[in-house]
Amino acid sequence: MDNIVREITIVGGGTAGWLTAGVIAAEHMANSDSGIKVTLVESPDIKPIGVGEGTWPTMRGTLQKMGINETEFFRECDASFKQGAKFAKWVTGTEDDFYYHPLVLPEGYEKINLAPYWQPQSDKVSFADAVSFQGHLCEKGLAPKQITTPEYAHVANYAYHLDAGKFAAFLQKHCTEKLGVRHVLDHVVKVNPTLDGDIASVSTKNHGDICGDLFIDCTGFNSLLLGKHYNIPFISKKHILFNDTALAVHVPYQTEQDAIASHTISTGQSAGWVWDIGLPSRRGVGHVFSSAHTTDEQAEKELRDYIRPSLGKQTDDLSVRKIPINPGHRELFWHKNCVAVGLSAGFLEPLEASALVLVELSAAMISEQLPANRDVMDIVAKRFNDKFLYRWDRIIDFLKLHYILTKRTDSDYWQDNCLAETIPQDLQTLLKLWRYESPWQLDFDHADEVFPSASYQYVLYGMGFETSARHTTRRSDNIELAQMKFQKNAQLTQKLLAGLPNNRDLINKIKQYGLQKI
Amino acid sequence: MPNHQLLDNITHKDVHVITKHTPEFGDNSSYSHVFIAEFRDVQAHYPIFFQKNSQTGQFEVIALFGLAGEENLFLTDAGWQANYIPLSIQRRPFLIGFQESTEGGVVSEEPVIHIDMDSPRISYNQGEAVFLPQGGQSPYVQHVAATLMAIQQGHQQTKTFIDTLQQHELLENVEIKVTLDDDSNHAMNFLYTINEEKVAQLSDQVVADLHRLGYLKAIHMIFASMPNMSNLIKLKNRQLK
Repeated sequence: MDNIVREITIVGGGTAGWLTAGVIAAEHMANSDSGIKVTLVESPDIKPIGVGEGTWPTMRGTLQKMGINETEFFRECDASFKQGAKFAKWVTGTEDDFYYHPLVLPEGYEKINLAPYWQPQSDKVSFADAVSFQGHLCEKGLAPKQITTPEYAHVANYAYHLDAGKFAAFLQKHCTEKLGVRHVLDHVVKVNPTLDGDIASVSTKNHGDICGDLFIDCTGFNSLLLGKHYNIPFISKKHILFNDTALAVHVPYQTEQDAIASHTISTGQSAGWVWDIGLPSRRGVGHVFSSAHTTDEQAEKELRDYIRPSLGKQTDDLSVRKIPINPGHRELFWHKNCVAVGLSAGFLEPLEASALVLVELSAAMISEQLPANRDVMDIVAKRFNDKFLYRWDRIIDFLKLHYILTKRTDSDYWQDNCLAETIPQDLQTLLKLWRYESPWQLDFDHADEVFPSASYQYVLYGMGFETSARHTTRRSDNIELAQMKFQKNAQLTQKLLAGLPNNRDLINKIKQYGLQKI
Repeated sequence: MPNHQLLDNITHKDVHVITKHTPEFGDNSSYSHVFIAEFRDVQAHYPIFFQKNSQTGQFEVIALFGLAGEENLFLTDAGWQANYIPLSIQRRPFLIGFQESTEGGVVSEEPVIHIDMDSPRISYNQGEAVFLPQGGQSPYVQHVAATLMAIQQGHQQTKTFIDTLQQHELLENVEIKVTLDDDSNHAMNFLYTINEEKVAQLSDQVVADLHRLGYLKAIHMIFASMPNMSNLIKLKNRQLK
């Protein structure tokens, strides 16, 4: 028996399964006889959870590589633009408390760290507005590009908001019709091991045994292969990130012309926060909270209170869906010839849309480093585990950062979040350092960090963190260059405010006319 | 604001149209749409490019008249300095509209002539009469009607032509950089053209298909129009003196 990797079997559909199938099938030519055979087995009964309706800008590259037409994606996935996140009531909890985490890097980021030059004027202009134009675009409801901008190209960096259910169906169609992925709609009833503990095949109810050289577990919280079959332990992170329940609703627009926010709005509550994601046809709104700090009833009340100003009486008719969350991840992600992608690997909370990006990153690494045969698979597995354990830790740090800089003392939730024993040691160390030096490229070990140092800057300074000025001068100090960059950002802001279209108008036009490829 | 009215021989009985092309009558745009059927005449005088419509993002074919926004280098006090004026300029101030008509219980859209009564070309004492004293259409308006029909057909033909070019991925963005005699620099980055190398690499079958549709000829006329770019620069330099 040869041990060449020729067949990949993905168990579970949903966005994780189909994204992974698409990334691998496109690169490894599943539609050609000489390529890798990709099969996706999906239970006809289990409804996918559809994690996250927000993506990262990386999704543009992921879709493009799969050969997807961006116009069709907009038409079929109820997609809209996302230019970052607006955090309201995370610092003081008052009505005027908000900051932006935009997706564009600070002006001149490859040349100069503007944070120390901005700090002295922090009472006059917010960090995000001083170094980027994107918060202004979001406030004015503008799109990040024009109808003449080619598909996937941007004027202002962007990601997407989308309907996860429609997205999975859209990917399924693309994968099966264009990329040569075989789709088996059936229950997996048994996992059949080989003598040395690999997975030889999975047995299905009606389609017999499905073999594979590599199995990808995309079975969601079920974690059928990695969790149930291999018993890889789950590591809870609830002592760091408290949120363990989400209540989600679909909120209709009042008219077809209502503005679509081009950013995720995330608003602090007494024991959690509310996400608000604008799709063309509706808003997706939800309250994610810590059940140790509040009750379902109180959380639901806060959710409806949040929605009521825009929806009025109808608010009380909305049906709320409850989703339990167990924040944490598996101890390992790739074991033997099985790797978990998506919720089966873990989930933290919806903050900063880290779920789908982890699916993309996992699929990309599996595809790029796909072991040629079983002999080298353990080497790749170890690399994959090391890399993703590091990534989960960095994501946990970054999410936690949003909570520990709060000045809210109105509830135990916010105060407990600031307790030292709930803050990872790495993060405490960084925070200490950042009191004297603003985050910069070298603070992080890896070339392909999930969150760039710019993201830390946006959150730190958005939340009013202070980095002391140095007592000594440095040769690289360059106040003229900094002034130039601030000015350039101000000019760019004016130019883009005048030149970019309304977000809903552009999305309508894309659906009507389509974006050009060039 | 344009004031479009359905042309009729009562309301517009005495209307005349000034047909000369001098700056005071508009036409100071740096381009106009052109249609495949007129490529032969257009390419003799103007460079032909593609650009994206700012409202729809869809490609359209244009003849270029200038290097900046409102600049038409052919438009002078002595008239339009070229022997051919594109149809979509010639038609002015008339345009085509559609009117619903019912015949034998079938509703159909009939093309009808509209006139922009706010155009500076509208006059009551000079230029070409629109209607004859007895109320019939003047030979001038009959000519305009033929022009409008040609535009109407040209729109669809040209759209199909562009779709075909895109299907074979033949369009590409060109950045045009010009340094004038006064050392000023002008850059235009919104223009697209056909990639000659990609055309040369098309399979025999595709070339035959394009030929049958008349597109191969159109493509080569666009290539042949390119030297007119240097004429534009010459006209611009002459203005500087």
